[in-house]
Formats: sequence, structure tokens, C-alpha cells
Amino acid sequence: MTATAAGPAPSLTSVFVRLKLSLLANGLRQSSGRTAAFITSAVLALLVAAGQLIGFVLLRGTAHAASLVVLLIAVLALGWAFLPLFFPSGDETLDPTRLVMLPLRPGPMVSALLVASLVGIGPLFTLCLVVGAALALAHGAAGVVAAVVAVPLALLVCVALARAVAAANIRLLTSRKGRDLAVLSGLVIAVGIQVVNFGVQRLGQAGGLTALDPAAAVVRWIPPASALGAVDSASTGAYGTAAAQLGLSAAALAGLLYGWQRSLTRLMTAPDGSTLAAASEPSRRGASTGLHRLLPGGRTGPVMQRSLRYVWRDPKTKTAWVTALVIGLIVPLFNALQGTGSIYIACFASGMLGIQMYNQFGQDTSAFWMVAQTIASPRDAYLELRARALALLLITLPYTMLVTVATAAVLRDWRALPEALGIALGLLGAMIATGAVASARFPYSIPQDSAYKNVAPGQGGLAWISIFGGMIASALLCSPLIALTIWLNAANAESAIWILLPLGAVYGAVVAWGGLRVAAPQTAARLPEILTAVSKG
Amino acid sequence: MPDQASNRTMDTAGGAAGAAPPAVRVEGLWKRFGEQIAVAGVDLDLPAGKFIGLVGPNGAGKTTTLSMITGLLRPDQGRIEVVGHDVWKDPVEVKARIGVLPEGLRLFERLSGGELLSYTGRLRGLPGEEVDKRAAQLLDVLDLAGARHKLVVDYSTGMRKKIGLAAALLHNPQVLFLDEPFEGVDPVSAQTIRGVLERYTASGATVVFSSHVMELVESLCDWVAVMAAGRIRAHGPLAEVRGSARSLQDAFLQLVGANGRDTGDALDWLGGGAR
Repeated sequence: MTATAAGPAPSLTSVFVRLKLSLLANGLRQSSGRTAAFITSAVLALLVAAGQLIGFVLLRGTAHAASLVVLLIAVLALGWAFLPLFFPSGDETLDPTRLVMLPLRPGPMVSALLVASLVGIGPLFTLCLVVGAALALAHGAAGVVAAVVAVPLALLVCVALARAVAAANIRLLTSRKGRDLAVLSGLVIAVGIQVVNFGVQRLGQAGGLTALDPAAAVVRWIPPASALGAVDSASTGAYGTAAAQLGLSAAALAGLLYGWQRSLTRLMTAPDGSTLAAASEPSRRGASTGLHRLLPGGRTGPVMQRSLRYVWRDPKTKTAWVTALVIGLIVPLFNALQGTGSIYIACFASGMLGIQMYNQFGQDTSAFWMVAQTIASPRDAYLELRARALALLLITLPYTMLVTVATAAVLRDWRALPEALGIALGLLGAMIATGAVASARFPYSIPQDSAYKNVAPGQGGLAWISIFGGMIASALLCSPLIALTIWLNAANAESAIWILLPLGAVYGAVVAWGGLRVAAPQTAARLPEILTAVSKG
Repeated sequence: MPDQASNRTMDTAGGAAGAAPPAVRVEGLWKRFGEQIAVAGVDLDLPAGKFIGLVGPNGAGKTTTLSMITGLLRPDQGRIEVVGHDVWKDPVEVKARIGVLPEGLRLFERLSGGELLSYTGRLRGLPGEEVDKRAAQLLDVLDLAGARHKLVVDYSTGMRKKIGLAAALLHNPQVLFLDEPFEGVDPVSAQTIRGVLERYTASGATVVFSSHVMELVESLCDWVAVMAAGRIRAHGPLAEVRGSARSLQDAFLQLVGANGRDTGDALDWLGGGAR
């Protein structure tokens, strides 16, 4: 059979959908552990979605159903816009920049990519929520008709929003100047979380769901929540309003697709920002900086120095750090400023920064072979991990103290400062311990060629489970410290409470040491396996 | 012709059995990736002090074999010794004695060339001043002195291979393993790399490198092993493996049985005209 006799070419959409399914399947086929992780995360996501669906159905007919639904859909859309940029996600949508050499027109390509983006756990989860939302609101024939239009519309707006933001960010993240700007989008998330947090707290204070109504009155006009707003309007007979709200969502979809298509066209035709930057890259200064001489000798110094250089120079590492630093500071301080906070929320900072200890070798990418070549014994592995933990502590230790003291200052809760600091230090130690073990046991790749993927296809579940499992384990490791704090407070042992500070510091140090001791022989024994796991991107 | 090939393999088995232990001894090496068998029972002794070429077509299992010998990939089965020490049981002795330049793996690219060498040398446990001295000389000889403050991410392919070679040589290993060291390298850089390697073997060290460019192997190596479909097809001194063939290329094509393959009518539509 020759090419000319092959008949009409298959549609681009079906080609992309099949490609996406193949990528998903191939990513899973590479290891059975990863398949298990993927299935676990899929089941978890669907269970949550089912729970939400039932919750929505129960909401049906209650007074504030409409307000609650539109706000939840708005939060969902926010999640779609920003989460894929900063957290490991299961979204393996094809990287459009790989298609640059194919003779594809932007229009058909965008619609094909959009449909392909609908394949996956995330879209299925969203579909469940949106269907639930529609079920909660639709009354009468007009409501059902509006719902039939609104559900796919809301889903498409969410997916298109994620793609459009991601495509815009590729441009940002590949240019050196843009990288610094993109790092600031960590602030967007931090503020977004705070808005939700603030809203939930207002809800608790101000006599229940009535407090939502003013916000909902605005949000019901913002796509994609406006699509669900239309279902409510149609159900109450306000057909004009319903049509306008649906129209808004449709216009938003069209606008997003247009913006996405424009960034794609520019991405595929304009030179890559990194190429331009490389051409004019200024030379680095001499190697012996002051830091060099201050760091210890042996293996420790060079490893610490390289880790710290990577925090500053590697865009992926830098983004992760800046996000952690900003959120770690903003969450406790905002809570304190709202007058609703507690000094214990300052522990959030140690938690956010402790996450940087996870997947240490994934951060090396396949360059890990250079480390593997110099690790011949558990002792070498211990020194390597300890040096990385020390580099982390060089930033996190003063930072944790700063955040805790600042939170105490805003709250004027100086009495609780020693115990909060003690718990924060204990938690930091536990995060380092679990992070070291997770680095040895659950390494995963961080793709370097794609600016918006933080985990290789098929390894998303592994990444989530490693981080969340580690966080739960860290909380458990800290529980003796927390129990002691509660007991001392309950017993009103004011004079003895200060002891929690040195105790927490020592406890954290011992736990961290223990974690490094456990992780070292595992690292030394698993070098080839770790290298394979981190070389996928 | 096939008879001649297998005879050659036989001949070399008893050929250079001297007193010195081989640089590398591989016995019954297997590696499987799912359904695919990448290395199917390799037995091989590589003599010390030689410039050794591991040749074979793409997908022959060269990279997989080298990765397993250098401890970067765990074999399914088999024993590997480097200068008399088991790679998997005694990594302390082996890792100090080998240098590696793998193909397809990154370097720490956000370090400058100078910083990368300084980091690697200190990780190897060499004293700081010695590292800086050796690094300066290597950068000089490899013509990278001008780019020592530039980030490796901004290096060209040839410069990357050269800085990788420098990192592999820094601790003065006994055996150097290079996977496709000349792939994508310009002629000037290639000549520089050649010069350094020839000087390195002249002092008694062993170089094992893989390539699919026969002319290069023929001009550089004094000992070759031919690999295809996960097995060793022939090995021995260059002249023996080449045998009566005009060139290593011809001998190689006979060994892997790829001579005279014709496309026939299969591509009759190809010609750059209409679709």
C-alpha cells in the first residue's frame, strides 16, 4: 500500500487523543509500582469526586445552594489555572512545541489539543463536580436545558484556561527575564489560597452561608461559574439573565482559545527565549567566592555549594524555592494579620521548606550519574545526603525562626513563641528525615525541557504519594512533641513551657540524623534504580 | 564468509593470554527491558593497556553493556570485574579506578566548566589544590580555558564532550569508559580529544570506547569487539578482526550480515514529486 492510496487522513483530533492515551499507557507500562501509584491516585480522586457529587445532590433545594455552587466552581477554575504550573500533576497533555515541524494549522491543532486535554483523571474529576453542581441547581425543563449546555461549557473553559495559562507561561519560563517574573506567580497561588482561607473563616464567623451571598452575586457572572449561574437563573425563570451568563462563558472559552492559539503560534515561530539568552550570556565570575572558603572540606563543602548554586541558578529549583519561601511566609502572617491566626501556623513555613528535601536526586536530573559514580559505600551516601540537608538548613533554619518570630510579633503572643519554635524545628527535622528516605525510595524525574511539568508522565501518582505520605509520616514523628506541648499547656505548667524550644531543636536534630542514617544504605544500594527513575525527563 | 567470521573469534581466544589481569572481564552478562533483550549473554575479556573499540550498529547493546560495566545499570545476570575487582560486590575499589563519560545523560549544567571540574574532583576525594591544578591543565589542553567561567548549559556538543572527558580524567583512572565520545563533535574538537586519549593510553592506561563509525575505530584502536543484537560477534586485535576484508567497515558488514541489502521496489513512490 502506498501513501497516495491510503484514503483520507484520520482526523487530527482522533490522532491526538490516541497519542495521549498511548503516552499514558506507555508511561504506566514502564514500571508496576508506578501503575499502582497511578491507580491509587485515580481511585482517590474519583472517591473525592463521588463524595462531592453526593454532597451537591444533598444541597439541592437548600437556600444557599446557588451561592455555594458558583463559588466552588470558581475555586475549581482557579485550581485549573494555577495548580498544573506549580505542583506535580497527572496532566500529560502533549507538549505542543514538539509538534513544531509538522504541517499543522493552529486552528485545528488547538481544537484537537483541547479535546486531547479532556482525557485524564483531572478532567473526569472536574466533570463529576460540574455535573453535581448542575444537579444541585437545575429545576424544571428550562433548568435542564441550561444545564445540558452549561456542563460541557464549564468543563471546556476549565481545560482551556489551564492550557492557555500554561502556554503563556512556557514563553515566560524559557526567557531568562521571564523566569524571574514567573517565579512571582508563586505569589498568585499564595494569595489565592489566602482568599479561600479568608472566605472559609468569614463563613465560620458571620452567621453561616448568608455571608457568601455578596461574593456569589459577583462570581456568578464570572466564567466558568457563570455557566452554572445560568442554570440557576434558568431554573428561576430569569431566561434573559441565563442567556447572558451562558454567553459570557462561551465568550470566555472563545477568548481563551484565541489567546492559547496566539501563544502557540508565537511559540512555534519565534526563536526560543533561552537561545537568545544563551547567545548573550555573560560569563560567570571566578569560582572561589567567599562562601567557598567558609564551607567545610571533604565531600560536605562541594555538595553544599553545588546545592546552593542550584537554588539560585536552576530555574526549576529556584521556582520551587521562591514559591515555598513566599507561601511559607504569607500563610502564617496573613492569618495573623486577619486576627484569626495562631502562632502554630508558623510551622507551615518549616513544612513548605522541608518539602524541598524530597526527591533530592530527581532535582539532579540524569546528572545524578556523576554523584552515583562517587558513591561507593553507605558512608559516602550518608555524607552526600547530610551535605544536602545542611545546605537546606542554611536557608531554612534562619527562615523558620524569622517566620515564627514575625508571626509572634504580629499576634503579640510572645508567651507561645518558645513552644511554637520548638515544634517548627522538630517538624523541620522530621521533614528532612522523611525527605531523605523518600529521596532514596521514591525518586522521580523532573522534566527539564518543559517549563510547566514538574513530574514525568506516569510518575505523577508516585510524586504525590511520596510527598503526602512523607508529610503524614512527619506529622506522626512530631506527635510526641505536640502531645507534650498540649500536656504542658493543659497542666498550666507555665514555668516549664520554655523547655519545648531546646527539646524541639534536639528532637528535630536527632530525627533528622536518624532519617539520614536510614536513607544512606538504601541510597547506596539503589544507585542504578535511582538513576533510571530520575532520567525520564 | 560467515565461517571466516567465527574462525576469527576462535583465533583470538588464546591469542594474547598474558600474565597481566584483563582490564575488564565480563561473564554471562544479560539485560532485559520488558520484552526486549538488550544484552544476551556477553562474555568478554578486554586486555589492559590497549585502546579498545566497542563497535556495533545502533541498538546493538553497546550503551547498555557499558552502563552495566560502569555500575550505572544493574544487570539481570552475569559477573563483571574491572582490574580484578567485582563491580557490584566491591564498588569502593572499582569506582576509584574508573572514569566514565556516558552518552545521553546530563552533566550538572548550571555549573560553569571550571566549577564542574572543581566539584567533581572534590567529590572524588582529591585535595582542593590538586583538583584546581589538574582542572586548569585539562581545561588548557582541551581548549576550554576561555570557556571555564561559562555555564555548561551554554556549551556546544563538542565542548560538553570535552568537559565530560576532563571530569572523567580528573582522578587519573586506570580504565576510561567513553560512550560515543565523538558523536556530534566537530573535527577540531575530535582531534583534541584524540590527542588526549592517545597520550593517556601511551602511559599504560586502558580506554574502552563505543562507536558506530568504523573509520574512526580503525584509525584509533588496536583492539576491537564487534557487537550486534546483544551479543559479541567478534573480538581481538584490529588486524585479526579485520581479517582479509578491505576495511573494518566491510568486515563489520559481513559479521552483522548486512551486506547487499537492497530496498528493491519497496520505496518506488519515493522521489520528492507529488504526494
